[in-house]
Parts: sequence; C-alpha cells; structure tokens
Amino acid sequence: MENEYYPWGGDFTVCKNNGCVAVVLLQINYTPSPDVAIYGPLKTENIGVEKIVANIISNPYIRYLVVCGDDIRGHRSGSSLLALHKYGIDKKNRIINAPGAIPYIENLKKEAIDRFCAQLKIIDMIGIKDKKMIDNAINECIAKTPGCFGEPYIAIRIKPETTKIDDKRALHSRIIINYMDKVKKRE
Amino acid sequence: MFSFTKKQEVLDISGIKIGGQPGEQPTVLFGGAFFKGIPDFKKTEKDIQNMLDLSKKTGNSSIPDFFIKKEEDVEKIIDFIGNTLPKNQPFSVDIIEPTVKIKVLEQLDKKNLLNRTIYNSIHIGITEKERKALKQHTPDMAIIVAFNPKDKSPDGKIEVLENGAHLTDKGLLAIADELGIKKVLVDTAALAPGDNSGAAISAIPVIKEEYGLPTGCAIHNVVEKSTWLNKYFESAKKTVDVSSNVNIVLFGGDFAIFGPIENADLVFPIIAWQDILVSEYTENYFGVKPAESHPRRKFF
Repeated sequence: MENEYYPWGGDFTVCKNNGCVAVVLLQINYTPSPDVAIYGPLKTENIGVEKIVANIISNPYIRYLVVCGDDIRGHRSGSSLLALHKYGIDKKNRIINAPGAIPYIENLKKEAIDRFCAQLKIIDMIGIKDKKMIDNAINECIAKTPGCFGEPYIAIRIKPETTKIDDKRALHSRIIINYMDKVKKRE
Repeated sequence: MFSFTKKQEVLDISGIKIGGQPGEQPTVLFGGAFFKGIPDFKKTEKDIQNMLDLSKKTGNSSIPDFFIKKEEDVEKIIDFIGNTLPKNQPFSVDIIEPTVKIKVLEQLDKKNLLNRTIYNSIHIGITEKERKALKQHTPDMAIIVAFNPKDKSPDGKIEVLENGAHLTDKGLLAIADELGIKKVLVDTAALAPGDNSGAAISAIPVIKEEYGLPTGCAIHNVVEKSTWLNKYFESAKKTVDVSSNVNIVLFGGDFAIFGPIENADLVFPIIAWQDILVSEYTENYFGVKPAESHPRRKFF
C-alpha cells in the first residue's frame, strides 16, 4: 500500500485502520469518533468523488459510508456520490442522474466502481447536521461488525508518470524557448 | 520571462484590454464578491470602489466578479450591478448552478448589461439549456475553463479546448464560437494540491503559444485548499494567497482571478510590481512597449 501512495492525498483524517465506517462531511464542522476509519470533507463532484472511491476500496475493512451535512450548491458533490453508488456511470463516464455541474468519473475503471458499490453501504444523511444523530448512525454501523470485504483494491497508481524531454530549455513537451528567449511550438 | 512567437490577441471589453505579449498590457484583476452568506451590498459597494481606485493608481484594470449562488439573489445582484457600477465598467458573473446561469443571462439581457458581461464560465459541464440561453442572450466575453478531469496536465487542458476530451460533442473553443461568443479568455483551471496544481501555471505559456488567447487562472484556489497552511502557518496564509498571483504574471498570463475582493489592497501593488519587473525585461530584450496604462508608466 505504501508504494502506491495510498491513501490518495487530500483533506482527510485517518483514524482506525480496521474501522468499518468512513464519513463524508458536507459543509459541517464535526469530528467523528476515533473508531471510524477515515473522515473528511468532500468538495467536488468529480475528482473529490474519485478520491473517496479510490481510498475506500483500498481499505476492505471500510463497509459503511456515512454522508452528512449540507450538500454544496452547484457542485452537489454529496448527491453525486450517492448517485454514483446507486446508478454508476454512463458511456461518457458521467455519473448517471447526478445533479452536480461536472459529475464525471474519468480516472476509475468500471470494476473499481462496481467494487465500491459492492463493498459499501451508504448511509444517506445529507441535510442532517445534528451531531448526536450522526454519532448514533456511526455507532450503529460499528455495532454491526461487518468484517473485512476481502483484498484491497488498488484503483489508481498514484505515482505520476513523468514526461522525458531532452531539450535543456524546455518548458513543456509542446513548447520550447529558443536562444532569444522566445517561446515557440516544438516542431 | 519570455515572449511568444505566436501572435497574441488583445481583447477589449468596454474599454478594458486583456491579453498580448508579456509586458504589453497590465494584468487584469478579477476580485470576487458575494462568496459567502447573504449578499452584503453596502460593503461590496465600498469594496468595488476601493478596487476601482486601486486600478486608477496602478493601471491594473479591475473586474468585479459576482458569485451568484441562489435563484432568489439573481434580480437583486443584477440590479446592484446596473445601479452601482460605473456606466462602462465591465464585470463577470460566476455561477455554478445551471438553472441560475440561465436566469442570470435572461436578467442581464433584460437590463442591457450583456455588452459589459464576462460570463464565468463555459466548461465541460455545459448543458443544452445553457447553450440555448447563451445563444439567445450572448455575453460580450466568456471565460472558458480548461478543466479536464482525466488529464490535469497542460495537454489535457488543451484537449478539452480542442475536442472536448469526449466529454462534450466538440471542443470548448468551438462551442463558444458556435454560440456567438467572439471574445474568450482561457482559465487554466487551478486544482487542489495533489492534483497537479502546478499545471495551471505551466499551462499558461503553452496555451498562449498554441492559441494566442488571453490566459490566466484563479491560482489562489490552490492556496485556499492547502489545509496545512491553516494548520501550521495561519498568520501567513493571506500573504501566500495574495502572492500566489505573481506566478500568473511571471508565466506570461494576462489575468488573475484573485479571490475575495477584500484582498485587493494587497493584490494590486504586488501585481503592479510584478508587471513592472516583466515589462522592464521584455521591453529591453524583445522591444515590447508597455501600454499607456501600464504600471511601469505610472510609477517610473
């Protein structure tokens, strides 16, 4: 797992590695119990959702995903995450029935999404900010002791591929700077 | 610092010029209003006036960028724009919700404000209804956000401009053209740290050399998402946020969407300073003459 740079970096807190609950926070200032596996905010309906899916399926102990707080206007990232779990993606990689502005899943294979749907049960608490209610929902999930889903699923190799460029004065593979400092398109 | 081989467009909206070779035009600065909570019109009026005063002092043009979240705010904000901004002042409208976008376009048309409008923005999430509304109520200028969720590199950004990266039926530039929007600015889509955030800056010279279009971004968004700053260096966060905009100028960019309008007092002098630095070199080395309104002419 370490070689793959998981979890994929972002704004989240990892708590108990073999915890069965992950918590998605939507515009809510709330710290879940240290018994959850991971928690953090979700902002975008594309890359943000992809990160959640990839990180969760890399840890087979996570079996519940609690989504709480107020969904973000325009992005509707929480509802888009729920739609992904419920309907999957279409041929253009758009999350089916997602209400977000740009709900595209471009970096995950269908198997990864299938795995996400199979591994997780989603607890939809969008619109709920009452901390006691959220605590109770999390505790109910933990009490079910669902056990490990199986092997970790590595959805994305996080380590980036580098572009090799031989020119010494290159800015990018498409452009170079010539001897007069003029930018020009590479031939 | 450098100059481009490709001819660079200088676009004009209601007297404000955007684009050109590095060192030619002053960097245009977009200051955002109404990001959080209920729109505070009194405060925003003062903030806009302050930003316009800073433009007079430095030569860097201002574009107030109005964030419109809810349908019920549309009329109030458009009325505010019509009644408060100086007669020829251009502005931009920044909207995420597709239904709100359409209502805003209708209202801007109704109030005869489209000739001063920069539509922020066209991206791969454009809907059919939005296209129809843009065709019917066409703004003078639009920002095209080159966000490609699959490939966040400069190449991926060019792909969405060129062919839509299979997410739209054609490239975003062709879509804008088809809608009758003749003046476009390219926003290189600054993403969170960990998502190739640097690509938003490195894409600026690539896109300018490829298309010659005015290019910039909201690089401060990367700072906003750098949560380690909040955690370890809270007092330095604003300094980092404001100074992040310098990257745009250094890489040949034409505009900076610098975030909260309240930061204008800090952003304008930093960018004016950076514009002078670039202009001194590009005039000496490439013969690029700074425009009449350039900060270099104001202060030297």
